Amino acid sequence: MKAKKQKRQGDFQKVQLKVGKKKPKADNATNVNFRSKAIHLPEQLKHVDSGPTKHRQLDIMDLLSKLHHINSNIKQGALVGLRELLSAQPSMIELHASAVLSEVAALFTDKDGSVRAAAVRLLRFITQCIPAERVVPFFPLLSAHLTCAMTHISEAIQEDALRVLDVLLEHYPGLLSQRHTVLLTNFLELISQKRKAATGQDKSGKGGFALTISTNRSVTAQQWRLTVLLRLGSFLQAVVEERPLDEGVTSSIGLGMWAGEKGSVTSVDVSWEEHVFGKGRIQVFENSGAVPTPHSAYRLRPDSKAGAGMNKELCSAETVQGFAGTLVPLLLEIWVEAAGGDHVQTDSGHLLSAEAMALMFQILTILQLLRRVSPHRDQKDILDAWFRNSYLADFKHHFMKNFPYGLLEVARHKKKADGKRIRQQVAAGTVAGGNVEPLALNVTLCQVMVTLSLRGQDHVEAEDADWLGTIRVFIRETLSNGGKLSSKHLAALLEVVWRMIVTQRSRVVTDDLLQAVYVQYQQRNLAVSVRSLLLCFFSQFYIQEHQNHPHIARSRILARWLASLPVQLVQLGSRNPQLSAQLLETIHPAAARGNKDLLQSLQKNACSIYDPQEGCVVVLPVESQKRLVQILHSLPAFPAELLACLSQVCNTGRVSASLATMLIRTIHLRSPLCGWSSSSQDVPVKDVDYLSFFFTTLTGFSSEMLQALQDTDEDSLLPSSILSPLSVFATTLEQFLHHWDIVEEVCHCLDTLGSRAQCFDVIQNAIIKNLCGLVVVPDCVCAAILRCVPRLLDVNFLPSDTLLHFLSDCCLSMLNLLLQLEQSAHKRDAVWEACFAALSTVPRLLRLVLQSFRVCDLCEEELPVLAQILSLLLQHTQLRNHMMANASLLQHIIQDLTHFYGGETREQWLTDLLYCYSVTLFGHRANMGMRDIY
Amino acid sequence: MSAPVEVVLSADSAGQLFNCAVFDPHSGSEFLSYRGGNTSSRSLTVLNGEYILGAQLGKNFINVWEIQRKDQLQQKIVCPGIVTCLCASPDGLYVLAGIAEAIYLWEMSTGNLLAILSRHYQDVSCIRFTDDSSHFVSGGKDNLALIWNLSSVVQLDSSRTPEPCHILSRHSLPITDIHCGLMGPQARVATASLDQTVKVWEVSSGEMLLSVLFDVGIMSVTFDPCEYFLFCGGSDGNIFQVSLCSTSLSRDKTFQTDSDGNQVFKGHRNLVTCLSVSMDGTLLLSGSNDETVRMWDVQSKQCIWSINHKGHVTNAVIIPAPANMFLADSHPAVPLPRFSRHLNPSEQGDGTGSGGMCLRLGASTQHFGLKTTDFKPLKCNRQQKRTHFACF
Repeated sequence: MKAKKQKRQGDFQKVQLKVGKKKPKADNATNVNFRSKAIHLPEQLKHVDSGPTKHRQLDIMDLLSKLHHINSNIKQGALVGLRELLSAQPSMIELHASAVLSEVAALFTDKDGSVRAAAVRLLRFITQCIPAERVVPFFPLLSAHLTCAMTHISEAIQEDALRVLDVLLEHYPGLLSQRHTVLLTNFLELISQKRKAATGQDKSGKGGFALTISTNRSVTAQQWRLTVLLRLGSFLQAVVEERPLDEGVTSSIGLGMWAGEKGSVTSVDVSWEEHVFGKGRIQVFENSGAVPTPHSAYRLRPDSKAGAGMNKELCSAETVQGFAGTLVPLLLEIWVEAAGGDHVQTDSGHLLSAEAMALMFQILTILQLLRRVSPHRDQKDILDAWFRNSYLADFKHHFMKNFPYGLLEVARHKKKADGKRIRQQVAAGTVAGGNVEPLALNVTLCQVMVTLSLRGQDHVEAEDADWLGTIRVFIRETLSNGGKLSSKHLAALLEVVWRMIVTQRSRVVTDDLLQAVYVQYQQRNLAVSVRSLLLCFFSQFYIQEHQNHPHIARSRILARWLASLPVQLVQLGSRNPQLSAQLLETIHPAAARGNKDLLQSLQKNACSIYDPQEGCVVVLPVESQKRLVQILHSLPAFPAELLACLSQVCNTGRVSASLATMLIRTIHLRSPLCGWSSSSQDVPVKDVDYLSFFFTTLTGFSSEMLQALQDTDEDSLLPSSILSPLSVFATTLEQFLHHWDIVEEVCHCLDTLGSRAQCFDVIQNAIIKNLCGLVVVPDCVCAAILRCVPRLLDVNFLPSDTLLHFLSDCCLSMLNLLLQLEQSAHKRDAVWEACFAALSTVPRLLRLVLQSFRVCDLCEEELPVLAQILSLLLQHTQLRNHMMANASLLQHIIQDLTHFYGGETREQWLTDLLYCYSVTLFGHRANMGMRDIY
Repeated sequence: MSAPVEVVLSADSAGQLFNCAVFDPHSGSEFLSYRGGNTSSRSLTVLNGEYILGAQLGKNFINVWEIQRKDQLQQKIVCPGIVTCLCASPDGLYVLAGIAEAIYLWEMSTGNLLAILSRHYQDVSCIRFTDDSSHFVSGGKDNLALIWNLSSVVQLDSSRTPEPCHILSRHSLPITDIHCGLMGPQARVATASLDQTVKVWEVSSGEMLLSVLFDVGIMSVTFDPCEYFLFCGGSDGNIFQVSLCSTSLSRDKTFQTDSDGNQVFKGHRNLVTCLSVSMDGTLLLSGSNDETVRMWDVQSKQCIWSINHKGHVTNAVIIPAPANMFLADSHPAVPLPRFSRHLNPSEQGDGTGSGGMCLRLGASTQHFGLKTTDFKPLKCNRQQKRTHFACF
């Protein structure tokens, strides 16, 4: 009872608190023994995990709104801020492109220069980030503001507008060139103003505009004009380059003028093997079928495609004429002023200051571009004629008077005095056009002037003679004075040469100019680009213009150049395959067209080109090799030594087997024996040479090589024995297979010759004469002979005994070799195929082979080999009948074999042989029996 | 027996049995044969359904037979050189002959030599007209094929030499055969070459549409009338069939082996020099240097019959049977004029020889002729036809 009470008290014990003692802690007391530390968050947490969305606490909308601020410093600051913000976070550009572009564009016409500069900087940054196709929707706005700035009354704004233009030209030339209608007038207005109809000073009567001079510009009028013309030039360049491609496109570099046919249809190229195995599906009609190509001369209705749209206006000659009619008088006027200023200083008119030279270069570039703007050839001709009629006299007077221009050496002191001006020039950005070489200027002038010379009109030739003569002299001297020209200048010069030769139609001029080009061509150590440019010029010139113009066709220089090509090809060897390929690109068509000079030279150098050791045909890459083989089609004659070379080329393995077969086919087709070429007057390949070529190719070894083989004792030589009467020289697998392919083609060609009996007779004689005496024979030769003879053998023709004995030796040796070949199934198959074909088509051969199995002479080790050969022959069903014809002989051999084999146990080979023998024999008998029953 | 719709016309280089002969396309039995001389390759042509013209092999004249008088050689046209190829326009108004490097164009109504076109550098190997006679294509051993507009060639404008409208220069070895498809100036043209390719071009633009590379040189080429298939005769005796439209539209065919369409006709042992397809596209005729002409069934690729000739087959073609061929007592509507051997513009102008007028497009109309395009040739032909009637 007491215990119970105590327990109950234990549960709810009262704690007695006493003075002087510490109060015990309650169980649920909070432990306050910790220290806290503050965490500072300098920025808000972001949802987007890259870059700040604010610049100095201003987000993009704030910045944009600040652009409307009245204070220009704030505007400038906002522009700078925008740039930094956008560069920190490029993804925002796309997001806000419309707002940013429209606000920035509005600042093109800001009063303050620093704001405009900042705006241009921002624009440059934005254009780098947005591709042209995304700007398209905003571009009308941009160009409207640009136009506004260009036509602004304040000259400083006009100047800065050109910078905006630079930026846009750099990044969106295509878009800008579509706005040509507005921009071209703007350009005009930058340097000139509309003449008032009332004023009587309309002395030129041509342009409705007059040059303006404003005195309060930071640069001189000339420099200002130069900067404008520079922009105009690059704008026209953009127009020329960006217009939709059409026929007769000439690129600015001039090489495009000679570029070959450029199809707008991409043709389908397939090879037969791919096609057969279903890899290449041909879709001709899907490719081009339903609608005729835009090049088609046949149109049922005019094109109404939207793509041509805007640019169409500038394509027509009339539009260009209208614009040129205003621009050209202005250009002339500018030049007159600039030159007039120079004349005051110097009395020699042909020396120009650097500034004047830059100006003139720009004027000429613009003239050149104006002509190129119209893409159609016939319109170009119209435009040329128009230019000639309107401006020839002016051009002659202003440009050609002092024609070969030189640079005026500026005196030292003068430069110092003008230091300030030069610095200003730098500021105005004219340095780009500032340093023009006199050569570039002169060449461009030639290009412009030469386009004015019309083709094919005799009455104008006399009046053109004076200035064309000057140009001719200049070109001749530039080309032939031994100096090295850069490829750009050379291309321009060659363009001029081409045009002059075509338009002037005189042999003297042609030879004169071509001689100069040829001198340049003959220089040593030309850069590869220059060399190939010259080569390209000559070859295109020959190929394109040769036929139309008799004066070109008769040119001696061209003939000499053509004749030198094969020599160059030989000399070049394998040093520069690209250049060789380029040479071949000319040689091939020229040879195909039967150019006498080239063919003579080719014939002379044929043996070195087709040399089997170091001729071009083996050292060049595959494509060139193919061309060289194709050139053989047009070679006038094949002398014996060339055929010897070609035969070795086929067999040395340095050209692929497919190319070698192509070569063999070519020779075959060129021979009158083939019966393809109908014209029988000339005989390119004599019959004797033809047959000896084919025999040499068939054997694959020249007689010297075979002779050399007789004396060597190498490891690869299999010794002769009774079972292998010839000592076999084993060739490598690669060589064997290569030769095998060639033999196939040779057999096919010989097979299709007219009289088989005669052909076989010739081959038989050749074999007897050249091969029968040999002791050591390469295996590929054996296989080739065994393959060739049964294919060519006529049923009515009896082969001679000598041949048959040689064949049986070959056959035996090959069968012997067959048993030793383990490594290559391919070679085994080939050898067996050859032996089998020979044995089955020539029954006497089989008999001879069987007769040569003289068992009594064999040693013990050879018996299994013989047995294996026999069982091989017996196993083959198609040989079975022939074997049965020799049954008695076979029985005799087998009896001897069992007799001479002294072993106690029956070996496997003997069992196999006897089994085969019995199956063959009794199978045959059974067949006979069956036949008897029915 | 009713007269056949189509006949096979073939010739060989030996000419022992006949110069050329007409066979039944279904049985291969011989209907007629024309005797005298032999014919060189690609130079047998039927003019207006009334005459057969064939150039003598290696000689400088053309043999002419009236189509119903098979035994008798009607005329020999002497030419300035050996004729390498010959072609009569389908409307029967012009004859073209390739003589060495030049192409000669005669007008059939007067026999005048209208033009000598020497734009090839080597022998011309083949000439073909488009089916509306508005254009012709010539191929040569200089690896070039040229497309000419007939109306611009016949223009009477001595100041400028006629230019081909397109130069096809993408072959790298001599051109062996040309075939023009249907559809006049919108046709496609196939050229075969020794460079082991067959190329298909568009006549109107001169653009290459297709190039097929083979293992062997191709000696002959033809389309079927629908241009479903391209048949190419190889120099190894095989005929390759290239299907030009992929038929893989149906889903079921996707996993089948691609054995339909692309196959080889095997049987010839030497160069296949001529190919021709019947107008329903089921029969293919081939002639070869192994001295046989074979008829194949296109669908099954089986040889239906073959005829042995005595020499290389030079021409073999399936043509619609001319009406006069089997009527022994018929006569040509127009007698064959004497062919002049020289270009003689003054005589052409007033046509004194035949006593009629000869109308030709003058120089002034040329610009117009070049610009309006499709319909011009038609107009021109009508004009020529009027001339033709005016003469006789």
